[in-house]
Order: sequence, then structure tokens, then C-alpha cells
Amino acid sequence: MLQELSNNKMAKKRERLDVIKDILKVIRDSRQIKPTRLLYASNLSPQMFKDYVDELLTKNFVKTEIDKNDKKTFSLTKKGNDFLDQYKIIENFIENFGL
Amino acid sequence: MDEYLWIIENKDLLKVFYGLLIGAICVVIVVRTDRLFKISLHQGIRYFRNAFFFYGIAFIARAFIGLAFFTGYKNLNFFYSLNFIFEFFIIMAGFFLLYSLLWKRIEDTADNYSSSLFNSKIAIFYAMALIIVLLDSIWQETRIFLFASQIIVFAVATIISFANYRADARQHKFLKFYLIAMILGLTAWILNSFAGAYYAWANSFITLNVLILDAIIFLLFLFGVISVTRAKQ
Repeated sequence: MLQELSNNKMAKKRERLDVIKDILKVIRDSRQIKPTRLLYASNLSPQMFKDYVDELLTKNFVKTEIDKNDKKTFSLTKKGNDFLDQYKIIENFIENFGL
Repeated sequence: MDEYLWIIENKDLLKVFYGLLIGAICVVIVVRTDRLFKISLHQGIRYFRNAFFFYGIAFIARAFIGLAFFTGYKNLNFFYSLNFIFEFFIIMAGFFLLYSLLWKRIEDTADNYSSSLFNSKIAIFYAMALIIVLLDSIWQETRIFLFASQIIVFAVATIISFANYRADARQHKFLKFYLIAMILGLTAWILNSFAGAYYAWANSFITLNVLILDAIIFLLFLFGVISVTRAKQ
């Protein structure tokens, strides 16, 4: 779906926010999730997934933790939780003001 | 008619309250949108917030200009400095407002500036604003370059907001008010340029109407920001 919209920057930007919301929602629903499961659930290519996860880590929406089996997992930060709670308002604002 | 005469006689005092009122509206808009930006890190919200941050500075500077006139304070350096601040920031605000509508078509997803006030793209706006203010300081009485720049900015913003309205007005009701605000803004700047260039600011009726139009525009944005950000909180 994302690739179909790749020629339309406006749609691409909008989709980007949706993808972020979807990834965060999967992490919140799972509380803690392994990278491979998150990649599968996000329905993105590995490269795109890496880009999004890097962005979410940089922006402090997501943090990495080590579980009891010494495996890397992702969980949501307070900022990521706030984003999900406010997502509808943010989306509404962006659409209503043509941003 | 008596009310109109009273307004004309007390115009400097009214300009103080007017500048502070618009400044206060801008503070509310900036605080609300800053909270949204900090959660979403959305560049469009960021530029929109910056626009009203700069409008706030400009109108507060304008309030001080009114205060200087009202109290009869005649320090020319003070007056020119405030005038510079007013003009520079109102130009920058217009640029940011337009850029908040355009950024999606210009910036790449890879662009991630740490500051939206100081980066290579925005530096162009600062340079343009500075050039416009300097040119206007040569032809001080008319502010022709300020008006020309803002008429262009609002004309483009009107076209974009009309396209947004046509595309999505049913689902997002504020797009209609945004378009109205842009048309009023364009009208206000045209009237302003007319008042300056043709009447040399002697026509208080036009000036008063411009102030009313500006107030309606800011109240529209305040209404939009409050109603959209209040939902489901």
C-alpha cells in the first residue's frame, strides 16, 4: 500500500503517521514484543521497518529492553503512549488545517 | 457615528489593547499546538505553531508602538526598533503559515531538522524578511514591500486552502473556515496596501476595517484550534 502511494508525497506523509500509529498500537497491545514479531505484525519490508523503528527509538516513542531470555524486546515509552492517546486529535488537527 | 469618532480619537489606546488581545490569542494557539507537536513531532504542526508564535511577537510589538503614541513617547530609535520587530516578525509569520501548507511538497521524509526556527531552509525566509524590512526602511511611508510580500503569501495560501477545501471539506469542517480566513487575510492586506499607498494612512475607516478583519481571522483560528484540540480530551 505504501509503495502505491510513493509518488504522492502528501499521501505518503499521511500514511507515515498511520504506520507509526499501527506500530505503536501493536507494541502497546503486546506490552513487550520481539523485533521479528513486530516486523511481521507491522506488514512492512525489513528496510522500511528498520527505518520506522529507528525513528521511533530516536524520537523516544519506543524503548528497547532485554527480557528474561536475554532477547531484545520493544516496549512503549510514556511519550509513545501519549501519542497513541492523542492520535485522533492530532490526525483531526492535521486534516482540518491542511497541514 | 459617535462610536466611530470615539474609536478614531482613542485609536492609539485601542491599538494597545488590540495588540495585546491578538497577542493573547496567539499565546493560546501556540500553547495548544506546541503540545500537539511535542507528541506527534509533525512538521506541519511545528510550522503552524511557529507562525502564531511570530504573529504574537509582532502584535505585542505593535501594542508597544500604540503605547508609545498614546503616551507621547518620542524616542525615534525606540519607535524604529519596534517597527522593525513588528514588520520582521509579521513577514516571518506569513512565511511560516504558508510553509505549514507547503512543507509536504518541499521537504523530504529524511529531512529532520532539530530546530524549526534555525535551519538551512528557514534561513531563506529570514534573509527574505530582512531584505523586505530593509527595503521598506528606505520607502518608509508606504511599506510597499511588506504588503507585496504578504499579498503574494496570502494569495498562494488562498489557492492551496481552496484546493484543500475542495478535496476534503465534507470530512473536515474547519477547512472551510481556513479558506475564509485566508480570503479575509488577503483582503486585509490589499486594503492595508491601499490605505498606505493611496491614502498615506489618512483614511481611518479603512484602517479600522483592516483591524476588524484581522481580529476575525485570529478569532477563527482560535476557534478552530480550541474546537479541534478539545475533542475527546
